[in-house]
This record gives sequence, C-alpha cells and structure tokens, in this order.
Amino acid sequence: MGKIGKISRWLALASVALLAPAIARAQGTTISGQVTGAGGAPVIGASVSIPTLRVGAFTDEQGNYSFTAPASATGTTVTVMARRLGYQPSSASVALAGNPISQNFSLSATATELQGVVVTALGETREKSQLGTAQQQISSTELNETKTMNVVNSIQGKVSGVTITGSGTVGGSNRILLRGANSISGNNSPLFIIDGVAVSNADRGSGPGGGFDFGSAISDINPEDIATMSVLKGPNAAAIYGSRAANGVIIMTTKRGANSGGKMRTEVSSTYTWEKPSILPEYQNLYGQGAAGQFEFVDGQGGGTEDYNDQSFGPRLDGRLIAQFTSPRAADGSLIPIPWVAHPNNVESFFNTGHTFSNNVAFSGGTERANARMSFGSDQVEGYIPNNSFHKMNGLLNAALKINDRLSSDASLQYVRNTGLNRPGVGYTQSVLEQFVWFGRQVDLNALRNTYNESGAINNGPANREFNWNYSFHNNPFWLQYDNPEQDTRDRFIGNVSATYMLADGVNASVRTGSDIYRYNIDQRFAPGDVRQGTIVDPAYFGGFTNLTDYNNENTTDATIRVNRGLGSHLLVNATGGVATRRTTYNFNSAQTGGLTVPGIYNVSNAAITPTLGQTTQRRQTNSAYASADFTLNGWWTIGGTMRNDWSSTLPKENNSYFYPSVNTAIVLTDAIPAIKNGILSYAKLRASTARVGADADPYLLRTTYSGLSNKFDGLPQFSLADALANGDLKPEITHSNEAGLELGFLNGRVTFDGSIYDKYTTNQIFNAPVSSTTGFTSKSINAGEISNKGQEFLLSVMPIETAGGFSWNSIFNYGRNKSKITELAPGVTTLALGSLFTARLEARLNKPYGALMGNAWLRDDQGNLLLKNGLPQRDPASAGYQHYFGSVQPQWTGGWGNTLTFKNLRLYGLLDFHVGGKLASITNMWGDYTGVLSRTIAGREVDWDKPGYVVKGIDQATGQPNTKAVTAETYWQCISYNCGQVIEDHIYDATYTKLRELSLVFDLPQTLASRFNASAITLGITGRNLKTWTKVPNIDPEFSYQTGNNQGIEFASMPNPRVWGFNVRITP
Amino acid sequence: MINKTILRVGSALSIALAVAGCNNDSITNLNKNPNSPEDVPPGPLFTEASRLSTSRWFGGIDLRTYEWIVQHLSEVQYNDEDRYLRVHAADTEGSFNGAYAGELKDLTQIIAKGQATNEPGVYGPAIALRTLVFSFLTDSWGDIPYSQALKGDSVGTTLSPAYDKQQDIYADFFAVLDKASNDLTGAANVLGDADPIYGGDPASWQKFINSLRLRLALRVSEVDPTLASAQITAARTAPGGLILTTADNAYFPWPGDGIYNNPWADNLGGRDDWRMSDRLVNIMNALSDPRLPIYAQPTAADPAVYRGSPNGLLPQNVPDPTTTSRPGEIFYKGQTTYGPVFGGAGASLPTPIMTAAEVNLLLAEAAERGLGGLTPGQAAAYYNAGITASMDQWSDMAAAGGQSIAAGDVAAYLANPGVVYQGGVAGLRQIAQQKYVALYMDGANAWFEWRRTCVPSTVVPGPDATLTYVPRRLEYPTTEATTNKESLDAAIADQGPDDLGTRVWWDTMTAPTCS
Repeated sequence: MGKIGKISRWLALASVALLAPAIARAQGTTISGQVTGAGGAPVIGASVSIPTLRVGAFTDEQGNYSFTAPASATGTTVTVMARRLGYQPSSASVALAGNPISQNFSLSATATELQGVVVTALGETREKSQLGTAQQQISSTELNETKTMNVVNSIQGKVSGVTITGSGTVGGSNRILLRGANSISGNNSPLFIIDGVAVSNADRGSGPGGGFDFGSAISDINPEDIATMSVLKGPNAAAIYGSRAANGVIIMTTKRGANSGGKMRTEVSSTYTWEKPSILPEYQNLYGQGAAGQFEFVDGQGGGTEDYNDQSFGPRLDGRLIAQFTSPRAADGSLIPIPWVAHPNNVESFFNTGHTFSNNVAFSGGTERANARMSFGSDQVEGYIPNNSFHKMNGLLNAALKINDRLSSDASLQYVRNTGLNRPGVGYTQSVLEQFVWFGRQVDLNALRNTYNESGAINNGPANREFNWNYSFHNNPFWLQYDNPEQDTRDRFIGNVSATYMLADGVNASVRTGSDIYRYNIDQRFAPGDVRQGTIVDPAYFGGFTNLTDYNNENTTDATIRVNRGLGSHLLVNATGGVATRRTTYNFNSAQTGGLTVPGIYNVSNAAITPTLGQTTQRRQTNSAYASADFTLNGWWTIGGTMRNDWSSTLPKENNSYFYPSVNTAIVLTDAIPAIKNGILSYAKLRASTARVGADADPYLLRTTYSGLSNKFDGLPQFSLADALANGDLKPEITHSNEAGLELGFLNGRVTFDGSIYDKYTTNQIFNAPVSSTTGFTSKSINAGEISNKGQEFLLSVMPIETAGGFSWNSIFNYGRNKSKITELAPGVTTLALGSLFTARLEARLNKPYGALMGNAWLRDDQGNLLLKNGLPQRDPASAGYQHYFGSVQPQWTGGWGNTLTFKNLRLYGLLDFHVGGKLASITNMWGDYTGVLSRTIAGREVDWDKPGYVVKGIDQATGQPNTKAVTAETYWQCISYNCGQVIEDHIYDATYTKLRELSLVFDLPQTLASRFNASAITLGITGRNLKTWTKVPNIDPEFSYQTGNNQGIEFASMPNPRVWGFNVRITP
Repeated sequence: MINKTILRVGSALSIALAVAGCNNDSITNLNKNPNSPEDVPPGPLFTEASRLSTSRWFGGIDLRTYEWIVQHLSEVQYNDEDRYLRVHAADTEGSFNGAYAGELKDLTQIIAKGQATNEPGVYGPAIALRTLVFSFLTDSWGDIPYSQALKGDSVGTTLSPAYDKQQDIYADFFAVLDKASNDLTGAANVLGDADPIYGGDPASWQKFINSLRLRLALRVSEVDPTLASAQITAARTAPGGLILTTADNAYFPWPGDGIYNNPWADNLGGRDDWRMSDRLVNIMNALSDPRLPIYAQPTAADPAVYRGSPNGLLPQNVPDPTTTSRPGEIFYKGQTTYGPVFGGAGASLPTPIMTAAEVNLLLAEAAERGLGGLTPGQAAAYYNAGITASMDQWSDMAAAGGQSIAAGDVAAYLANPGVVYQGGVAGLRQIAQQKYVALYMDGANAWFEWRRTCVPSTVVPGPDATLTYVPRRLEYPTTEATTNKESLDAAIADQGPDDLGTRVWWDTMTAPTCS
C-alpha cells in the first residue's frame, strides 16, 4: 500500500470532511423578502445571506429573494445580511423557528465600490472583498447613461486603465485596449464573454489609407440587455479563460427573469437622438481653386487653366468673373464667366443632421420553478452622411427551469440582425471626405447635390461621368453616396444551454455548450465612372461589384464542478475544476469584378471582366483542463490560485500542451486588525497576484505552402511559394503579470479608493519576424520579442455632499497610466512596420514604447533653429528614410471624471473623458496645407496670391544670418507638407484631448405614477454625448479609429465622432 | 448517502477527464492547411514568375523610375522621380525585395524541380529568366546576395545571405547560361502553354539565353574586354544561335483583361502626370524618326507637333502640359482619369523583353570594336539590321491600334545623313544612340547602357534636380539594414558608399564614346 495508500486515505478523509454537511438534510426555515433602495425602488442582484451558515440568495428583478436555512440551524438566532455593490450593507437578527420568515431590507447608496458582490471569471458571483485581482464592474444603469449603439463606446471614460478610441462612422470600429498592448503584431483586443460563451469581436475595419469601415462584431450586443459588465483588466484576473485572456476579459451577463409569482413585468426604453459631426476643419474663404493665382474651367480635366487642379491656390475670391463648373453655357457651348465667390459652408452643408431612434422592450416573469425574460430591441439610424443608414434588430430569450430539487437548466438565445446601408468610404483613396481636402473653396455644394445624377456633359465634362466640379481626380460626393449602393448584413445567433446538478450542498456539477454564430455579407456595387483609387471599376463596362461573406462559428463546451462551502466555521472554500473545448470555424468567400456585361445585374455570371474569387477556411480547436480554488479564512484573508492546461491545434504536436498557473491573495486589513478601523478609515484591503497566461499561434503557421491566384493568366493557373516561412518548432507565447492593489474606504464609504500597480510582459511572442528578402522570403514565424507594460490605475469615489433634504453629489475619478517598452524584437531586427500613410510610419521599434511614430524631420542647428536654403526648410539627412522618432501614439494616461448631482427626483450626470499625451500624424492637415484649403494657409497671401509672401523663421544656411527671403504661400505650404523632402514634422501633433463625453439630466416620475403603470420607476431624460472637445490638434477629431487592430495614430479624413443630443424614456418594472 | 455522493462526484470527474484527455492527435490534424498546397507542379509557378518578372522590370510601379532617370519620359506634376527625390532606398526597395521574394524564389523552385527530374525544358527557361532578373538587380544595385540567396531557412543556410561581388556574379551568369544553352539542345517542350513567352519552346529559349549572354558580355566589355570578347564569341557560336529577326523576339503577351494589363497602360492611363522627355523627342525629331508618332502623341495644343518636356523641374517651372507630348496611343488614349483605366488598346500591348533590335545593335558594337571574332567591316550591316528590326517591332506592336511604319519610311530614315553609319567612335555613338531610342519603355537596359556608353550626352540632371549627377546605381533597401546588416555593411565596405553616385564594377566610363 505504502505512500499511495496513505495519500488515498487522506483524500478519503478530506472528502468526508468536505461533504459532511450534506448528511444533515432535513426541514429548514425559509426566509424571504424584498430589498429596496432609495424611494423604495427594488435593488436587483443584492446578496442576502446568513454568513455563518453560508446560505443565501440574490434578489431578482423585483428585489425579491428567498432561501432556506438548514434544519440543523433551527432554534438558533442568526444574522441575515443584505449587500450590494454601491450600497451600505444592512443586517437583521432573525430567529430560525422552522416557519417561513419575511424580512425586508432597505439599503442606502454609497460611493463605495469596495464591498459587495461582483461577477467574476466563469460568471461566478463573488464577494469583492475576497478578490485578489483587479476588476471593475459596471452596472446596466451606468452603461446606458447616454445611448450608444456600441457597448464598447458605453464604457468610454468609466473604467480605469482602458483606452478606447471610437470611429465617427455609423457602425464603425472601436479600438479597446486594457493596460496597453501585449502583442507586437498580433491581436491586442480583450476577450469578450457573454453568459459564459466567448463572442467574436472580429474586425472588418479599414485604415487611414482607404477603404470601408464595416466595424467590429462586438457592436451587435444590445447594451440594454446587459445586467452587469465586469472588466477583468489583466491576465491575473483572467488566467482561467486561457489563451485569449492575456489581453484581459470583458464579461457580460444578460438580464434574466425571476420569480414574479406568475405576473408579467415590463421594461421599456426609448431614445431619440440627433447627431452632427463634432469637429470639422477650418477652411479659408479668400482663394478659390487653382494654382499660382490662376483658374478657368473649360472641361474640368485639364482643358482649361488649372481646371484639373484640385488645390486652392487659385485667384482671390473677389467676385471677378471666371468660367466655373456651375456656369451656364453660351450658344457656342462655352461656359459663361460668373462671379468668383466663396461658399463658406460648402463642406459643412454636405452633412445632414443624423438621427437615431432606439426602442427596447422586455417582458419577464416566472414562478418558483421556471422563469424567463424576453426582449426586443431595434436601432434605426440615419447617419449624418447623405443616404447612409444603419439598422439593428435584437431579440433575446433567457429561460431557466428548475427540473427538480437537484437539476436545473438554463438557456439563452439571442438573435441579432444588423444592416448597414451605403457606408461612406473612409481614409485616403476611397473616402467621400477625401475631396474636401483636395478642394476648391468656390465650389457650390448645392449644385453638386441637385445635379449629381446628370451627365458631366452639361458643363463640358466627359459625357460618361456624373456632373462634378473636377473630372480628373474626384467623383461627385453625392453621386458616390447615392449611385454606388452598398449593403452589409450580419445575421448572428449567440446561444447557450446549460444544466446544473447539485451533487451535494454547495457542490454543483454543470455542463454547458454554446456558440456564437454569424454570417456577414457585404455587397458593394460600383457604378461606372468611379475614379477613386483602389476601386475597381473599368469605365468600358457597366460598373462592378465586390461581394464577400464571412461565416464564423465559435463553440465552447465545458463541464465544471464547483464547490462553495465552509470547512469548519472559519474556512470558506470556493473551488472549481473543469474541462472545456473550444472550436472555431471561419469561412470566407468573396467575388469581385470591375466590369459588368449587362447593367444592373451584380452577379458573377454577369461579369465582363473575370471575377477575382477568394476562399479561406480556418479551423482551430483548444482543449483545456483547469482548476481554481480560493480559501477564505475568517472572512478576511483569501488565498487563491488557478491552473490551466491547454492543448492547441495550432502548435506542433511536441509543443501543443502548455500549463500556466496564477496565485492571488486578498487581506481585509480592517477586519484582520480591527484596531486600525476608526472614524476616518472604515475599510482597507490589500491584494496581490501573479499570473502567467499561455497563448497559441494562428492556424497553419507550421508548414510553408504555395499560394494560388484565383485569376488565371489567360486561362493558366498561377502559383507562388508563400513569402512567409513557416516554423515547425513554434512554442506557446507566455504573458507574465504581477499586480498589487489597495482598496480603502473612508468616512463610512463616503470616500473610496481602489488602486492597482502592475507589471506585465509577454515573452516568446509568436510573430512574423521580417527576414532579409534575399532569402526568398520576407518573414518567418518565430518565437521572439518582448513587450513590457508597467502601469498604475485607480478609481477614486467621493460623495462630498449628501443632505437629508435629498441632495447629493457623487464624484468618481478614474485614472490609468501605462508605460510600454519593446525590449526585444527578433534577433537582429530593430523595427517592425505596423502601418503607414504617405510620409508617416507607425512601427514597433526596439527600446521604444509600442506604436512609434516615425518620419522625416527638419534640418536644424544646435539651437534648434531651422536651417533654410532659398528661404525654405530642408530635410535633415539623418532622418531620411523615415528615421526620426516623434513619439509613441499611446497616451501617457487616460482617465474619466464622472459627477452625479441628485436632488430628489432629478439627477444630473456629466462625464469628462481625458486622453493625455501620445502623438498622432494628421494627413488631413498635411494635404490640407498642401492644397491651401485650410484657413491657416492664408498666411503669406493676405494681400494677393503671391503677396506679401511667407518669410520662414530660421537661419539661412548659406549666410548664417536670419532668413529674410519671402516665398509665395503656395511654395511655403507645399514645401512644409510634402515638397521639401516629404517631412511630416509639422503635421505631428500631441494627441491630448478632453471630451465632455456624456451629459444627462434625468427625472424620475413620482413613484405613485409609476406604480399606476405597474412599474417601479419611470424616468425621462435628456442626454448628450461628445458635446465638447478640448484639444490643440487643429481641424480634426483627435479621437479616431478605422479598425480594432494595431494600425493606429495616423489619421486621414476620419469621420469625426458625432455630437449627439437626445431624449429618453425608461420604464423599470 | 456518502457513497452515492462520492459516486456522483467521481463519475462527473471521470467524464470530465475523458473529455479533456481525448483526441489530442486529431486536433493536430486539424492544423493541415485546407487552403494552400505544400507542393505544386512547375508550370503554374513559371506562369506567375514570368508575369512578375515582366511587370516588375518593364513599367512596374516602382521601377518605372528607370524611364525618368534615363530621360525617356518626364514628369509634369509631383516631379519626385524626375528630381531624384523619389529614387531613394525607401522608394525602390519594394522592387528589390519583391524580386527576391517573388519571381526569383519561384524560378529557383522550378530549377530545382526540373533538375530533380532532369528536364532541361523545365529548368532551362527558368535559368534564363532567373539570370535576366539577377542581371537587372546587380546592374541596378551592384553587389547583391547571389550564391547564398533564395535558400530560405533550409538546413545549412543562414537567414543573412552574404553579398557577392558583381564580378563573381557575372562569372556565374556566363557559366550557368553556357550550361543551360547546351542542355536545351534537343530538349523536350515540357512547359508548353504555361510559358507565356515562348510556349515552352526549347529552341527559342536557347536563342534567348545566347542573346542574354551577348548583352551581359558587352556590359562588362569596358572593365574586362578579354572576358567580354570570349563571351561574345561563345554567345555567337553557342547552339541555337541568337535572336536576329523580329520573329524571334521575346515578348510577354498581356491578356489586357482588366486584371493582367500592360503595366505601362495601367501606369500612364491612371494619371496625366507624365510627358515625353525632350531629350528623347529632340533626338527623334532631329532625324524625322518614323517611330515618333508611335512613341508619342502629338501635343494637345497642336496636333502636328511632337514636343518633349524637360526633366527635373519643379512643377511651377514645367511648360504648359498642353504644349508637350503624352506617351503614345499604343499605351493609352490621351484622356486619363485618376482611377485605373482598363480595356484600352494598350492594355494588351505585349512587352518586349529581348529583341532582335538590341541584339543586332550589340553585334554592331562588338564588330566596330573588334570583339568576339567580329570585324569593324561588319558593323554597318548589324547597325542597319538593328534599326530595321526596331522599326519592324514598333510597327508590329502598333498594328493593333491601326498605326504602322511603312517600308519606305524605314528606308528614308536609314538614308538620313544623320543615321547613315559613320564607323569609328562616331559609329559607336550612333549605335549607342540607336539603342537608346530602341530601348524606349525598357528603361532599365537603356539606363545600364547609358551608364556604360555615356550616350546620349544630353542626359544630365534637370535644373531643379536634387542631385548634381544622374544616378549611377540604386540604394540598398532599408530593410536590408534591419534584417541583414552585417552582410550589407561588408558589401558597402567593398563597393563604396551606399548612395546613388557610387559606380558598380563594370561602370568605368572608359568606353570610347565617353570622351
């Protein structure tokens, strides 16, 4: 028998101890009641429990709870506690006599976020005081304070350590980053989990270079259906989710039904908002189209004087008579000169006032054994770009059934259909807005709007083109939006079914399977005459099209056993063990052609030019076994750990199994040493944790393959050996993370502080390291590279005022600072390109923070003066080849400051969002200077197009004396933006901004009125988003994103984030 | 009760373990790429490699730059290439890198496959194209990775190939061309239609290989006349002969289907930023060259006038573009738009890769200099044959657009006193100038020959150029500095500073025409 026998005896004893309380099962005492908050409104999700007996329940949507105390306790008097995050706990003494007891609680709100119950990894609800890791939970109310369709936007400014940049495009991409980027070239997006199922945030974004931003998949989630959202910031909090949790996890639970005694409860929320672009460039209105002060329109494509030229260095807009694109035609067909005047509103008038109508209605109810909630939501958006709209429809059913005392089942099914119509092109080459940078200030947009469907022949332009102001480089922006229909539709099901079997008191086994399945189809049709670069239309045929379809299916199936019970009277055990398997299938199909045989039929069978076809299949699977255990001693010291082993399909067989652990601890100092508790310090907790998280590779990186081309060459197949060398020896990459935190409560929770410091680094990164192309390959998949991220973050809540008269002021400030550094790239590699546009480059550069902005710089003397030649600055030869480092695009810190003023039924809420530091390159400003459309380009031509000229401040290199030579405005502005050595320096900006992100005024209708509608509350609100931006970046919205990926910080013609005003009605059951 | 509970927990655990432990083999099998094969036959590789070779070196987006450097064309807007602003490392590295990772890698695969099966019909044409592309690379950059290049991470190699001296690379060129030419004698046609250039015909490829050998021999004729002479002799006497008639020209046929178009048609049709250079047009006007109406369009202002625009000017100094000539209608119609323009006649214009015009002019030069067993007395005949072949070639190419050159026009041109062969150094200048004209739209070879012969002497930097000299090589890619630094530094130490002015090994400017 020996050692093994001994161990198994111990194990047997241990299991007896574990299961001992299960033996004593008899008639208990049922305790039930309601938990209410201010004004008698029910408090949902509060925990009501008898801590000594470790029994309890959560309140339902009506604030009701019910649970049974074990019969063994009958005859004793116990303390029942009601707790909820954001409320002061309340307790009551109850004598257990075997008869049902009714006990209601009334909780008062506090600023504190330190104690109470939160949803954490694996969807478990836990006491926050027992958590050894950093996480922040956001309630449904906070999420829906002001309406946005994308749930990621809803947390902007509300969570410390989170950087979010949004896109102004309706349904466009948002970039979200928790505690900086871990991966040099891979995915840095956090993992999203809804009701235990991983959901996709796949991106079909674009870039500043041009394209269409089709957004990211997480925007399908309806914020109104979310009960709680927990942000698990680092790998420490997320170790249990495995590979993809290295970037943090965002866990959402959806609202569920509850025992309502068979009655139906109704929730309604309706919002109507108006949107306008928040920031537009400042244009000059003194000079019109042309160059060197000259312009005359003959055919808009070079036939006249500078009439192909799309710059604004033409004649002064002084009413002189010049033939223009809007000129009437004389009898001989020539264009009659008309007054040459500015149209100051010609860009602004392109935009409409957008509006969004969102409606959500939900019904819920249940009995003791079964409950359900169903909800329907819709968003109807008319964008502020002409003819651009977006529609979203959601349906969600959550149902739970208690089959018998031991077996219960839960299911959730949600369907989302989201449809974008006529999304505008963004970025340089396909953007609708591109031409407002290459533009004439005399252009009358009304003429373009009214006449977009006429032929260019009416102003002597090409007959096969739409009417426009310039035929060389641009399409009529209205024609682009009206005559090139685009429709994209995503149909999505997210569902899961689970069964839980109670093996013993506090020991449950459950099985769950769920999938996130969507099909996304993008159907873009192009009319002939589309001259945008990068589009595909051959003018010899009748238009073209692109049609592509994504199918994504991510399935997670897991089986877990959970233990949540006491061992003796001092120790609480919370343990989980389980296995999981995750399978992902992705299919992609596309067809595109630049020419149709018969107009109007956008089908491959009608292609006049052989269509280019695309087809990709990706499959991957990860199997996992994991366990976590937390032991809480005397309620104040928790020590816990997790371990996980993954087997991944994407790694070589020898390396495909990898193990990673985490350890954490939390000590509530004020409970451990009650002496330190006093009138000022009411709560103190220390926490610390250390974790590793392993991650696998992308599929198919192990063997080099040949790529075929769908386009046959004159009918002949073509193949080429891939440019990326595969690597059969890849290992998993590992993120290491250490963090420590301090939570403090003062003045009975009136002031709370929750802060963390962390230090994390990712080693053995799997990435495509560049190799010398002379090997025949441009990159090789390797394990190398290291990014380190160190940072601090905190959340400070203060309730400075709370009067008996019903007035209170609650103020919450959050702050997150992250410092990243690339400490290693591949051997011999010092830089890796992440993105570029014109003269700006974004790189991952050794020993620099992640996202280094690079470019050419000016030549200066030792004192920093520009060294000029012929009155113009020159490129510093040392910077040639984009070698000057201008800074990182990552902010130094981000933060948010939310204030809520409550007076009786009236609540005023405001949120400021801070983004401090970091650089951006603005190509809008660069080309805007080059073309002379921006208001500042008046400098040097105040008197006339070449007078008085521009004297650049600097030292003349030849004489060593200060420069006195004047150059024309055109020469100067084109020099500093492009012509003098393609120097980006003057168009790099400090990206700091502060936004008044949210403002709302909410009125609660009197309770008596609400109860007449069988509701607990009816609120009316006026809301606003992005109302004001403070920034030193000229002409653009410094917050922009085209995609969720790593190509950030270089801007061109991004849609500014909309300024939104609206009102809202909400009925809470 | 306890037993039952233990049983439940135990069975749940064992189910869980069973799920976790199972099928780790099958998940490995899941990672076999369903989209791309691990091996393919040589034909489809050859089709793509030959297309890439042509589109990159004959008007591709980066290396169209050759046409401005050698001043066949000029820029009237965004004059960056023309002023030597956009000819630096970052601007041309895409072509350097693309050639290695593109056509050269695949040609190397084909050669390995062909040698493994002992099929000269497979590896012969691949060696021809591989040597052609390597010659473009070394003639543009000088020392380049060659002997250690294109081996990936195969056993025994490093990912940092050393740079070979140009002299050694040329020695190997001659050796591999010699062997390939011999092997092709009597070889079976294996590639067939997969070879767009010659339909896989071994005899045609033999001619191509011998002609390429002749070209490369003359290129080293200033630095090593002995080697050049021997190689000219070998090229002339190798089995299969040379490309001496237009019928044997190597053309790359473009389907012009909107996807695979003549690169110049796409380039020129896409924007209206370009005009003929006055250097080329002046030469052609002076001799009433009948090729001019094919090379160029008349000015918009006057349909009877062909006029070039000067190179190397700032946009504001450029003459009114309505008074200067666009490149010819065989490439594109005069009207351009910002976006791509497909479907024009130029889209399916074939690209000449190696022509009888060039080969005859090479022979004329060799004869005049008494190299390769030829004598000066033979020069005039080759000279006239070269001019005639060029006329034939452009006339054939323009036929689809309804243009042609009448035999009488050719005869009149040959009779022009400025054209009639003068012999001696003057004759060598005539030969070089004719080659400069004939190599229109083959800017790479025109530039290499200009560097070697100094003809035409009118090619000088424009007034607003950013260099005081015409570039004599291209700069090494910035990517080599980050991925292959040691090898690159050794090459620079050996060859000279990595700038546009350093001369490659054969560029000695000692040709008789340079004085």
